[in-house]
Amino acid sequence: MKRIEALRAVVDATSDLPVIATCAATSRELASIEDRDNHLYLLDAMGLAVSVGTGLAQAIEGSAVLRAVVIEGDGSLLMNPGAALTAGYLRPENLVIVLLDNGVYASTASIPTHAQQLDLGRIAEAVDLKVLQVQNTEELALALRQTLSENGPWFIHARTEPGNEPGIELLLIDPVVHGDRFRRWLSQRLHA
Amino acid sequence: MSASTTQDRHREVLRAIIGLAPDGVAYVPSASIAPIIDGALEAQANGDLALVYPVSREEEAMGLVGAYPFAGKFGVIIMQDNGFGNALTALTTFAAAYHLPLLIVANTRGGLGEYNSMIHSISEPVPELLRSANIPVFRVDRRNPPEDWGATVKEAGNHAKMTFRPVTVLMEFYDHKDGKAKA
Ligand SMILES: [Mg+2]
Repeated sequence: MKRIEALRAVVDATSDLPVIATCAATSRELASIEDRDNHLYLLDAMGLAVSVGTGLAQAIEGSAVLRAVVIEGDGSLLMNPGAALTAGYLRPENLVIVLLDNGVYASTASIPTHAQQLDLGRIAEAVDLKVLQVQNTEELALALRQTLSENGPWFIHARTEPGNEPGIELLLIDPVVHGDRFRRWLSQRLHA
Repeated sequence: MSASTTQDRHREVLRAIIGLAPDGVAYVPSASIAPIIDGALEAQANGDLALVYPVSREEEAMGLVGAYPFAGKFGVIIMQDNGFGNALTALTTFAAAYHLPLLIVANTRGGLGEYNSMIHSISEPVPELLRSANIPVFRVDRRNPPEDWGATVKEAGNHAKMTFRPVTVLMEFYDHKDGKAKA
């Protein structure tokens, strides 16, 4: 599946959940599908999506918001693999990590990553995340349904094709305004 | 005055952190602040702190604790100043850029009393690195009595919330009057 097809499956499953998206092209493609208030785009914080998602999962625990969803890439996870260790250590049951693994740094000229040889799903398993392997959008949709109804911490390892969707616009957002939009969306639901 | 001013400083800083009632405390180890980290873990066991946990690297802490304010929560990071190099991209492009308040309490290295011959290369420029990135820095050292260390940590936490940004307190433990003081 293409990354944008995987992102559509995530968008379809997460209208009511906070979604934290990793750097650059992934965030831009997500916003191009739908730029919703429940999305938090991390345009430049390299490798930080899993850490932010784990922190958010802690912060919403016990509230009416049942999951924190992270969209991470293979290259980005490899920049901060300790984040997966800490997620495995803290074991937030409400955390769902969706790893879009295309084996390349697609945002930076498709240079190959370690994921060409290393299985990041096995690494996630080794740190006690619950791993689901998916190859296509049907499997991804099923996996998302499972992770939203059964307790995690989840790690959906989705294999995607290399490459970026052509013609996607830049995301020219003020991070303060963007973050505040996300915070307002979340705070309404936390106290619902 | 008690046997060790250093122990009093540890106690006052820990008391101030507990007083801020953070929703989470992330730590990276350091020998000179081990009593603060151990005290925080003890406070968690006693129910005086909500959640105290290790991270593998400082940048992780910026993401974890930086996420709390989106849900109206607040956290503290305990670390050593040589880790600001690791933390800087996350600290600036996430916590500072999105106006996310958090408090970093860090001991300094590389100054008086240092026993490692290269650590000053990162520790010495840290205050300027942080200030040049618009991260506020408050400092305490041997000239500040223990209660002032606690008061500084407490007010720095409030300052982070008031000004919607990450704030740092740098603690220099060297004290020629105290054999227990470590760099
Ligand atoms: Mg990739």
